[in-house]
Amino acid sequence: MFCDEALDAVEAIAGGELKPEGRIAAHLETCPNCAAALASARRLEQMLQARPVQQAPPQFTARTMATLRRRRWRSEQFLDVGFNVALGIVALVVGAGIWMFVHRSGLVSVSNDAVNVVGANVVSLAHRIAPSVPLYAGATALVVTALGLWWWAEKDAAL
Amino acid sequence: MDPAHERELVERCRRGDEGAFQELVDRYKDLVFALIARTVQDRSRAEDLAQDVFLRIHRGLPYFRGEARLSTWIYRIVANVCVQDHARPAVAVAFDPAISGPSVPDRQFGDLELRDRLEKAIARLPANYRLLVAAHYLRGIQYEELAEALQLPLGTVKTQLYRAKQQLRRLLETELR
Repeated sequence: MFCDEALDAVEAIAGGELKPEGRIAAHLETCPNCAAALASARRLEQMLQARPVQQAPPQFTARTMATLRRRRWRSEQFLDVGFNVALGIVALVVGAGIWMFVHRSGLVSVSNDAVNVVGANVVSLAHRIAPSVPLYAGATALVVTALGLWWWAEKDAAL
Repeated sequence: MDPAHERELVERCRRGDEGAFQELVDRYKDLVFALIARTVQDRSRAEDLAQDVFLRIHRGLPYFRGEARLSTWIYRIVANVCVQDHARPAVAVAFDPAISGPSVPDRQFGDLELRDRLEKAIARLPANYRLLVAAHYLRGIQYEELAEALQLPLGTVKTQLYRAKQQLRRLLETELR
């Protein structure tokens, strides 16, 4: 019965957290089984303390940061797609709403008249500006080139 | 790391400072890796798990309230990752008969054999025991910190560690002899 008590204390004694005193110390001196258990526990303690400490691989931090960036990028992509889908759905709902409103409230005839008026005005406007089209096209090309150059310079600066 | 610097580092990480998180990884990577490598025998698996720990840290930092020390919180994450990994289908630890024969006079080889047996015995322990053995014998991790990280009373941590060592002795003396 006393062996059980001594064996329970063996790990703590081997670990240096308990000093064998009194009955336990006497028992450990006289009981070969418990003494062998203590010797074995001390050997195990030494082996555990001598276990090598492994260091992280040299590129560990870089790899972890790369994984982190990849995951963040993926989640941002996911958010972007989600946002675009939501925007599309909203546009669809708004369009359907407008369509239903126009058809149900008798606005179709009014809107047909409006289309005719706008169409006639657009045709007359086109007749008036036709001679100046090359001039407008040149100016637009100039502005687009300037904007392109500005964007290219800004992009390089951001890097 | 002193508490003020630790708080500042956490705060910078929370603000999305990538450099701060890199500093955190650099500071704790060896400890995290050493802990995991002592519970998982496969080195590349240990690296994957260590990386998983840091990704969880990154996700969890906004919710870290600073009530415990940062290192304690990190141990807790390591413990969770190790226990979850242990729940996966286990890879059988084979006992190599080539190195189980009669003792070899060469002391270095004898040490290697002994170390190999010890690692195999540790691999057979339950996950929580393995982690305790790994952490306790890694320099710098105290019983108190372990108890806080594992959310266990101090006495329970000690008792579990004694039981783990008893089980290890039994394995080394019988099955892995």
